[in-house]
Amino acid sequence: MKFRAKIVDGACLNHFTRISNMIAKLAKTCTLRISPDKLNFILCDKLANGGVSMWCELEQENFFNEFQMEGVSAENNEIYLELTSENLSRALKTAQNARALKIKLTNKHFPCLTVSVELLSMSSSSRIVTHDIPIKVIPRKLWKDLQEPVVPDPDVSIYLPVLKTMKSVVEKMKNISNHLVIEANLDGELNLKIETELVCVTTHFKDLGNPPLASESTHEDRNVEHMAEVHIDIRKLLQFLAGQQVNPTKALCNIVNNKMVHFDLLHEDVSLQYFIPALS
Amino acid sequence: MLKCVMSGSQVKVFGKAVQALSRISDEFWLDPSKKGLALRCVNSSRSAYGCVLFSPVFFQHYQWSALVKMSENELDTTLHLKCKLGMKSILPIFRCLNSLERNIEKCRIFTRSDKCKVVIQFFYRHGIKRTHNICFQESQPLQVIFDKNVCTNTLMIQPRLLADAIVLFTSSQEEVTLAVTPLNFCLKSSNEESMDLSNAVHSEMFVGSDEFDFFQIGMDTEITFCFKELKGILTFSEATHAPISIYFDFPGKPLALSIDDMLVEANFILATLADEQSRASSPQSLCLSQKRKRSDLIEKKAGKNVTGQALECISKKAAPRRLYPKETLTNISALENCGSPAMKRVDGDVSEVSESSVSNTEEVPGSLCLRKFSCMFFGAVSSDQQEHFNHPFDSLARASDSEEDMNNVCCRKEFNGSDAKYFCII
Repeated sequence: MKFRAKIVDGACLNHFTRISNMIAKLAKTCTLRISPDKLNFILCDKLANGGVSMWCELEQENFFNEFQMEGVSAENNEIYLELTSENLSRALKTAQNARALKIKLTNKHFPCLTVSVELLSMSSSSRIVTHDIPIKVIPRKLWKDLQEPVVPDPDVSIYLPVLKTMKSVVEKMKNISNHLVIEANLDGELNLKIETELVCVTTHFKDLGNPPLASESTHEDRNVEHMAEVHIDIRKLLQFLAGQQVNPTKALCNIVNNKMVHFDLLHEDVSLQYFIPALS
Repeated sequence: MLKCVMSGSQVKVFGKAVQALSRISDEFWLDPSKKGLALRCVNSSRSAYGCVLFSPVFFQHYQWSALVKMSENELDTTLHLKCKLGMKSILPIFRCLNSLERNIEKCRIFTRSDKCKVVIQFFYRHGIKRTHNICFQESQPLQVIFDKNVCTNTLMIQPRLLADAIVLFTSSQEEVTLAVTPLNFCLKSSNEESMDLSNAVHSEMFVGSDEFDFFQIGMDTEITFCFKELKGILTFSEATHAPISIYFDFPGKPLALSIDDMLVEANFILATLADEQSRASSPQSLCLSQKRKRSDLIEKKAGKNVTGQALECISKKAAPRRLYPKETLTNISALENCGSPAMKRVDGDVSEVSESSVSNTEEVPGSLCLRKFSCMFFGAVSSDQQEHFNHPFDSLARASDSEEDMNNVCCRKEFNGSDAKYFCII
């Protein structure tokens, strides 16, 4: 296995750093999948994650000036690494205003992802910062659990409101209850609802719009005002919202009635899918 | 007796010094003298020492007088103010330094020896005055006996560069390693920790020698020391905007970080991790070993003082030396590993230490593994009028007569080929 990549463009480096920072907020431990064309940050839906899963995808050529990798074999030309997201995020944070960044798979005392940063300095010589991040190489037999999740046909698909607004609302609701109902319909309406013995609080978002394909295919079958709903743990939703520093280009919410919420975000050059299961 | 006055901006610097020292110890000495006001502290394991000396001209007003005491030899001896303060009492007073700098017009600090109190008064605008009365404990100030000018390696660096390097490490990092060659400087995570914690990130930063104001490396060296104290020192250096000088030799020898401004002089002495062998020890076994060792020493001391008479050790003044022969350096190294101090009652005059007691001071080879950080030389602050801070070997060391220091054990050793005598407090 070999992996070596380099970023010399400042804007690309900042962007990659922001993605790493987002991942660190969404998942404590995750899998980094390296393939010839893409990088993926993966969180599979183990019970340890509370059933939450994540699939984040980057086209490597949009970020890296140099990118060389050799997988475990010619047939399975991929590398799967488990790492603590915070470690990568912190290492990249030191790369602000860097001249160049290199990422390499190394083996020093233990398998590492080595991040090398060449910093600008006042004198002629450069400062070199190196971080050796411990990783675990995931064996081939476990790869099947780390494939792209199958997206079920949603009952309702709807565009999300501004995530910052949504986060603000959800944060206040958390003070009342840990259970939240998210419901939406094909008329562009999404509601966030908290119900306890003492109080019921609902925030209504209107005119959000529904993706054309979804509304078109189901329009004739049912009442557009009918609400599909999912009962979820509010903390998982907050964790998802906390990771979103910049409003994405496209933000879609898919609801499978009483089963799961699927968030589909598209930033420039990055796609993120986040699955929150319903509370049983 | 002490009386001094500072302005708002001076309070900020003073407060930064207190904050830096709070990283080393929970208490510190207030030690006024002719040279100015010194704040001194040493941590509980005697592996770190800090001293910040404020010149008399730092203050708007500085007044100091020494207590004069007639000794048994009918010689006038000047004693230092025995004033030890708890950091817990002082630190909150100097917490919001930016606010203090902006809002107070004057700060006045004086001592009331009759009541064992230090009074700190802040004078604000509109006639508002805030007064803190802090009780102090009578304790003789300590001073580290370490001559940084004989160190093989010397660096001078702007604080900003060190601050950039420090950002690399997590707050949970306990030790860092400094590695130098004649052309390069490297600060990195301690290798020991990355072995223990399989999930720890190992970070390092290389800086070229041309980024330093001064870069003199006598030999390639790699030393490991505590990270917490280094961060404290940087906190203080940001307030003075003066370069930091770093002096060190080899693993096991102390590291000195100095800031020398016209108005403020700061010296921080940190113990470094000893040889490769000791890196294998675990912190817990180290503590147990130290505890056992101290118990043995106390027992010995009790045995030798069946009559109940207090142990007193007095030493002649050591002649100042800039350079030491190789032989002396070896002796210094041996003394730093003192494990079995030679204890002898001294009646008035200093008597010669026998040759057999010299061999007694040598460490049992097996126990070297258990010593993590070498202890440093400590003695009471000299009352010598001609004392030069940069040459602590000038000091005439005197053990404290306060009750707390009774638990300290003194050992003494004479070096071959030298008339200097040194104390080691364990």
